[in-house]
Amino acid sequence: MVNIETSGLTRTYETYKKPEGLLKSIEGLWARKVEHKVALHPTTLRIESGQIVGLVGSNGAGKTTLLKLLSGLIHPSSGSAKVLGYEPTSRSPDFLKRISILLGQKNQLWWDLPPADSFDLLARIYEVDRKVARERVAELTTLLQCTEQLHVQLRRLSLGERMKMEIIGSLLHQPEVMFLDEPTIGLDIVAQTTIREFLIRYVRERRPTLILTSHYMDDISLLADRLLLISQGNIVYDGSVDEFTARSEARQTLSLKILNPPAQDVSLAGHYDLAAGATGLKVELPANAIAEVLQSVMAVSSVQEIKIEEVEFEDVIRKFLEQDVRMRSSSRAPTV
Amino acid sequence: MFGCARLAALQQFEYRFNLFADTIIQPLIVGLVEITLWYAFFKTTGQGTLAGFDQASYISYAFWAAFISRISTSWMYEMMMIEDVSSGTINSVLVRPISFFEYYLGQFMGYKVLTTAISLVIPVVVCHVVDLPINLARLPLSLALVFYYLIFVHMLSVIIASLGFFFTRVHHLTVAKNISLWMLTGEFFPLDLAPEPYRTLLEALPFSSGVYRPVGYVTERLPISTITEGFLSVTVGIVVLAPISVILWSAGRKRYSGTGA
Repeated sequence: MVNIETSGLTRTYETYKKPEGLLKSIEGLWARKVEHKVALHPTTLRIESGQIVGLVGSNGAGKTTLLKLLSGLIHPSSGSAKVLGYEPTSRSPDFLKRISILLGQKNQLWWDLPPADSFDLLARIYEVDRKVARERVAELTTLLQCTEQLHVQLRRLSLGERMKMEIIGSLLHQPEVMFLDEPTIGLDIVAQTTIREFLIRYVRERRPTLILTSHYMDDISLLADRLLLISQGNIVYDGSVDEFTARSEARQTLSLKILNPPAQDVSLAGHYDLAAGATGLKVELPANAIAEVLQSVMAVSSVQEIKIEEVEFEDVIRKFLEQDVRMRSSSRAPTV
Repeated sequence: MFGCARLAALQQFEYRFNLFADTIIQPLIVGLVEITLWYAFFKTTGQGTLAGFDQASYISYAFWAAFISRISTSWMYEMMMIEDVSSGTINSVLVRPISFFEYYLGQFMGYKVLTTAISLVIPVVVCHVVDLPINLARLPLSLALVFYYLIFVHMLSVIIASLGFFFTRVHHLTVAKNISLWMLTGEFFPLDLAPEPYRTLLEALPFSSGVYRPVGYVTERLPISTITEGFLSVTVGIVVLAPISVILWSAGRKRYSGTGA
């Protein structure tokens, strides 16, 4: 069953650019230069029920805009979206009771209240039986190891504790579709791990449809089974995480230390060069090219040390996105 | 909506000193200032009555007006709504199955019930001790009108907050509006002192139900018909404001960029 479907979904933001200086500020009282920035180019997507989608892109790529459109927070400039069969911008209460969005950089619980009071209010808003809600809160706080903080005002909690409470608040009504925008941002490694492990357990048990954005690739590689890479408002990769990982694993970093630096530049397997006088070499290359490069090196020098490492998932994504930005100007799609 | 009203009470109780300043100190100071003005007026002019009412009547009106106007004016929640729109805090309301109108109206009403329960004790006691004109049997109906008027006030707040979608910061509009209401509601002086045709116009506007009508009725300045007319005038006001607030809200939502996240 398709839970999320978009067709040519686009969003353009209107911005006002203010030149520097007091005089320009005065001029801005009557004349402002308005600019239109496309945050999301026409996007067509289908996401099946129970799928965990990792949405990855650099800052300003359009990730959050896509989540805001799908949750009905903002209206599209053109195109359409259906989530659970509802048009998100209609803000139908039935729709809103079945989804949840967590914006990692925004508090959604009440700042002055202890989370216990916020959860009580959320239970009323989502029409969840209060006894059931209390049981769920008890279960979730135990899993997230934050029971002690339940009656402390949100403003007095640490960032990690707050995020745990925000996650509980977003799960209290057991949404069928969840949008998690940077749920681990700014957290220390312990809090990140706790939240990541909790989410892994939760999605395996409940199987909600989940779109997750994160700058931490561990979040994506451990949770998601589908990867969407977004760059400058365009979906530039849509495939399984396994497929993407398999491709990245096919690339390796080869590091060599050699005993006899060559007197002149040497071409290795036709694609790489060993410079004259070099005592070492470090190249990223396909796994099947390693043997050929090694042979070429050993033909000119003895090798003292060999190190072969897998390229990090994060590096592959970064390079893919950087390549996309460069290629986009020459209208060529990047390759993994 | 009850949950939102409860939320407001919980938040108010969290900051005890602020609640005390809001419900007691602030209206008390305003009341004393206005009493001083009327006292000075009668003392310096040597007049025994003004428009048929004596000094005690004006002092009672001024004192009650200070407290009732605290109830019938929206400062804090309107500012909060504007801030939530401009900062994007509104996101947490928009993604939940509750309307912006209902969410803030619930909190607004909860806050007003709480502040009314605390602050009105003062004028009741003072009028009893000092023997100022007051008919406490009329108080429930007066308060009923004030709370009905709050729906109208809240609609104005939604309209102003919606402008935040277009202009981002509109806080000073609230200041300007509330200064105007100082006169339009009758907080500054009883509206029947205004010369014609302003008197008729001011009395006919829904704003008069914020202070002039309920205070005039409870201090025995005005008859019961003023309350029924007040309900009618506020109803007309709500009917006029409702479509404006819906149109502005919808247009604003289409422009909204989900600021800050």
